Amino acid sequence: MSDRYFISDSDLRGLAADLLGAGTEVIAPVATDICQSPSAIAATACTLDHSLVDIDYRALTSADELDLDRGLPQLSLKGYFLPEHEALCSWKQKGTTIEVEEVPTEFAARVVLAAKPCDAAALEVVDKVMNWDYKDELWNGRREATTIVNLTCPMIDDSCFCTAVGTAPDDVKGADGLLTPVAGGYVYEPATDKGRALIEGNKARFSGDVEADTLGREADDERAASRRRVAANLEIDAESVRDWIDTHFEDPLLSQLAIRCNGCGACTSVCPTCHCFDIVDEQEGVGHGTRRRCWDTCQAPTFTLHASGHNPRDDQHVRYRQRINHKFAIYPLKFGEVLCTGCGRCTRVCHAGQDLVEILQAIDIAARRPGDADPAAAEPEEAAS
Amino acid sequence: MNIYQPLLTTVTEVVDETADTRTLRLEFQDEALRKDFSFKAGQFGEYSVFGAGESTFCIASSPTREGYIECSFKAIGKVTTELREVNIGDTVGFRGPYGNWFPVDDWKGKDVVFVAGGIGLAPVRCVIWNVLDRRDEFGDVTIVYGARSVDDLVYKRELEEWGSRADVKMVTTVDPGGETKDWTGEVGYVTPVVEKTAPKADNAVAVVCGPPIVVKLTLPVLEQLGFADDAVFTTLENRMKCGLGKCGRCNIGPVYVCKDGPVFTAAQMKALPAEF
Repeated sequence: MSDRYFISDSDLRGLAADLLGAGTEVIAPVATDICQSPSAIAATACTLDHSLVDIDYRALTSADELDLDRGLPQLSLKGYFLPEHEALCSWKQKGTTIEVEEVPTEFAARVVLAAKPCDAAALEVVDKVMNWDYKDELWNGRREATTIVNLTCPMIDDSCFCTAVGTAPDDVKGADGLLTPVAGGYVYEPATDKGRALIEGNKARFSGDVEADTLGREADDERAASRRRVAANLEIDAESVRDWIDTHFEDPLLSQLAIRCNGCGACTSVCPTCHCFDIVDEQEGVGHGTRRRCWDTCQAPTFTLHASGHNPRDDQHVRYRQRINHKFAIYPLKFGEVLCTGCGRCTRVCHAGQDLVEILQAIDIAARRPGDADPAAAEPEEAAS
Repeated sequence: MNIYQPLLTTVTEVVDETADTRTLRLEFQDEALRKDFSFKAGQFGEYSVFGAGESTFCIASSPTREGYIECSFKAIGKVTTELREVNIGDTVGFRGPYGNWFPVDDWKGKDVVFVAGGIGLAPVRCVIWNVLDRRDEFGDVTIVYGARSVDDLVYKRELEEWGSRADVKMVTTVDPGGETKDWTGEVGYVTPVVEKTAPKADNAVAVVCGPPIVVKLTLPVLEQLGFADDAVFTTLENRMKCGLGKCGRCNIGPVYVCKDGPVFTAAQMKALPAEF
């Protein structure tokens, strides 16, 4: 059986409609009015230009909302797998006894259509953290229940650098299939059983072998062109960058690169691979409440503050170093790849102008500088094992 | 049951160690768990007061004492302040045991030296009882313990018990000015008292725990006495949430205190970047 299929634009919308009709949740990029309360405010006092839109991954209410031609959604897919906050358990107190109720770890099947490849790849990167020792059933349950179909990136800007960090704008890493725009529709390439099941369940929407014909070649050209567009932004040697960071913990360059950062933490919220979390109890009334996991940010001083008042990361440049170190040295030493998929959101969202493309370039240059080679760099510390 | 779900324990004993430090004895409510729960000396857990949250401490009781666990804590943060309010019969949540442990089994036949300052005796107490409950497997046992004042000494009954044993060399000290009129122990900081006690380093291991300054100053003294860096053990702490290697905050450079630690040798400590 061929591994490539054609699906027309109308059939893709039809597929979304069929899935919705069958009660399956479909998550996809949706253009939203930048004014978030259209009914109440927009009609009266809101003076924003309503022709402007944000793009977001949303659960579709209708297939018409599917919006495939725009750039990166504001937030990555992360929140659909590691929600901004989620219950870990709840409790009820009766006298001195406490009953703890479990939360379900099984989830209803759902489909993500037109995921950005950097966002799907990030899920596979975070999979490793969630499974390297203890298994996080909440993360895994959502991962298993979700079929993800990527879309070869239609809009690449100068903050994108996925090809510099081991992924690509037409990658299927972390996803189950890939759509690539061609004349009149898309070429669909399933990558996993879940990706193939999507065709099996909706055969009439897909048409046969496009391997050899012009549509297949058009898709190949489109994929290659998108890779070239990103590759022009940044090229680094990730291994030298890793070794340089690992052996230059106190290097002034790392403080210099952090100088504009004021620790707002926006980068960690929008980052598809930032997964650090807090666990807090939410008292919902007398004697009952919910223990929740919430997104946290390594850029906040409270992240590492001890109850004694001591803080091992008590300065902003040290916290910024932690973020760079975690992404490009600590995680790579443990898992082999980097904790970044080059989506560029951190750069776009930073109001202080911290630009990760520039920062990685600066570290890459430092790592290549002759005479700066650290002998220890050849032997990364085994402490991470 | 997901990995963040706490096990339920009942408080069966409350001991006020000092004005702000308390020890709780906890028994698992599940009968099978009460029987089967096991851990190793040095491991930690996440203790919770429902409504206040979770806090990280080592298990302060010895794995040789079965049927319960104990924790000692200073009421200083949000959770510990609430934990200080619990009474006998109340429910406390527990997740664990997590992390690595002191390789006590490797120390058979060796002398063991314990150095602790303040509340740092809690994780060391677990190892002390572990060694004393298997006393004939080890050589000489020396304990040097110091606190700011007599009032700040924790586990006072046990200090007396250890001090009265013929098979333990027990040295207790308080900082200058912290002594009372009837104080019979040493007066001085822990580090010079270790120097003065001068335990022999031949075929010996040392366990050091306390405020960062105690650990920092004691390590060179032990080195001078001849202790090799891989014969000196300590236990580190950092703010933690999950204890499972996921929440991403307890790392010192590439080392995660929750998974690679909390027990480290002096040799491992020296290789860490200056971030603690």
